[in-house]
Amino acid sequence: MDTERVELIENVFCDVFENLAFMFGEPTGKDELEANGNEHTLAHISFKGARTGEIVLIAPDDMCPEIAANVLGVDPDDEQVGELAGDALKEMINIICGRLLTDLESKDLVFDLSVPEIKNIKSEEWSVWLKKEGSLGFIVDEYPVILYLQMED
Amino acid sequence: MAYNILVVDDSAVVRAVIKKTLTLAGIDVGQIFNAENGQVGLDIASTEWIDLIFADINMPIMGGIEMVERMSEEGLLSTIPIIIVSTEGSATRIAELKKKGVAAYVRKPFTPESIREVVSQIMGD
Repeated sequence: MDTERVELIENVFCDVFENLAFMFGEPTGKDELEANGNEHTLAHISFKGARTGEIVLIAPDDMCPEIAANVLGVDPDDEQVGELAGDALKEMINIICGRLLTDLESKDLVFDLSVPEIKNIKSEEWSVWLKKEGSLGFIVDEYPVILYLQMED
Repeated sequence: MAYNILVVDDSAVVRAVIKKTLTLAGIDVGQIFNAENGQVGLDIASTEWIDLIFADINMPIMGGIEMVERMSEEGLLSTIPIIIVSTEGSATRIAELKKKGVAAYVRKPFTPESIREVVSQIMGD
């Protein structure tokens, strides 16, 4: 990916986390990123239309309830936070995907987005995703987060 | 006047955020009904008095576009204003939705101000 494209993706990622979850992200070199514990949640969304591709967002399990609490504007101890933690990460990737497609491509193009899905992964798989060519590393409120984008021409 | 509002979104987080945003926006809400996809939304709109619908586009079973198309074919349901709330920013897609009869389009993430503005425009408050 060229520098301009990377900067645009980083800006969209940080902007969405800041505006939706009130969490502050900072792009971080992949070699500086370390897994936070062994449990991570991977959110996936794909798109087709003018371009085809997929986006993956990987966050530590501990971070997901914090995202949910911030998005909902409730206390982290609120009972609905635990139930909606995965749902909150799905919404983050949904919004990041929508923003990236219009910002990277064109507002005139139409894309069909899939329904986001999540799954739990361990640190071994986390490392595999981090090493992929299309992945970028971020620190969001001290949590390591991976964003992976793959787009076919 | 208090509005009965139907929120159609597969994300429980988004449904909760829309509910909270309506309150923050100062909109007089009567009952709020929740649906996790367009099919459930159609069922609720057919059996309950609904003044306004907020709907997502991408949902399993039945998405928002199909729900809008199905509603436009049903006499009474076709009169309920629908606000699409989505991440998609395609101007072409928004124009298509308006042709299908969607009253307004709000892009996520939204603010209480943007919701209040669009509801006021549609409901004439």
